[in-house]
Amino acid sequence: MWNKALIACARTYPSGVLTVVEDSGYPRSVRCLVEFDDARELILISIPSLEVVGRQGLACLLFHRHNVDMSGQRELLIKGELHEEAGNLVLHPGDFLTGSGRQDTDRMPYAGSPMDIIRYMMLGRRKAREYLAKRGKPWTPRPWGKMLRYLDTP
Amino acid sequence: MGALHLPPEVEAVFREFRTCEFTTVNRQGQPLTWPTEPFYDAPEGRLIVTCSIAFPVKVYNARRHPQVAVLFSDPTGAPLTDAPTVLVQGDATVTELEDDPPWSYEMFKESIHRQPKARSFVSNPLARRLFTFQFQRVAIFVQPRRILVWPRGDMVQVPTELEVRYVE
Repeated sequence: MWNKALIACARTYPSGVLTVVEDSGYPRSVRCLVEFDDARELILISIPSLEVVGRQGLACLLFHRHNVDMSGQRELLIKGELHEEAGNLVLHPGDFLTGSGRQDTDRMPYAGSPMDIIRYMMLGRRKAREYLAKRGKPWTPRPWGKMLRYLDTP
Repeated sequence: MGALHLPPEVEAVFREFRTCEFTTVNRQGQPLTWPTEPFYDAPEGRLIVTCSIAFPVKVYNARRHPQVAVLFSDPTGAPLTDAPTVLVQGDATVTELEDDPPWSYEMFKESIHRQPKARSFVSNPLARRLFTFQFQRVAIFVQPRRILVWPRGDMVQVPTELEVRYVE
């Protein structure tokens, strides 16, 4: 379903990363230019490298950015189906996913407000408990002293 | 497997890029690509990405469908000029990061070097406790099978395919 808020986010990126799965089973990604057709709720893909043209089927389109020090992270993934229509490659969007799980912004929790960070912490703790419950044993505590000392080794 | 034989500009990309676009394939055959911090384990000739046990979808996908891809197409933050874009298609193996192998210390150090603001976070026992899940991680090792290179990041050009060769 077309998500206007996240499409607005996607429009701020100069390019995206389109990925398909090759017949070999390996994914294949290419950075490409895109155009958004709001009326038809489609994304037109301009592939500079012709290698993924003609590969139709399940695909995804990723937009992301970060600052040089890795702050300000944003990410948005659009799942969909790739079709060739009148010589053009077109992505029919399905789900819109973000790293934070939100449907109104592509901002990652650490780049957001204190409330975003608290929500992320609570979600992460709950999900980790689920993983450990399935695993059936606790995680070995990290050797923090050794790890922090290692940061200062030449 | 041993060290990979790579042109220096490709090895520099593996070492210096802050993020890669890492793809796994889910049960429905749907590719899922997310920006991920990569680590190049040069002695073993493999790429490593990790994910928190709180968000293990990549791990489950890689276990079920080990063919994965790693694209290096965003040089933001890397001290490189005219870096090539590099696509690695490879086979994934997965292991929980509990026993502190030596490379995990190097990876931790590299990660803090790339994100200097994280130093105060990891040095704070309360933050570590609240966000324990951030440090309970699963490693996905990617053994390259095919490497494609676009010089200067120009994906208009036909890529060069490198022979995946290990140093004897």
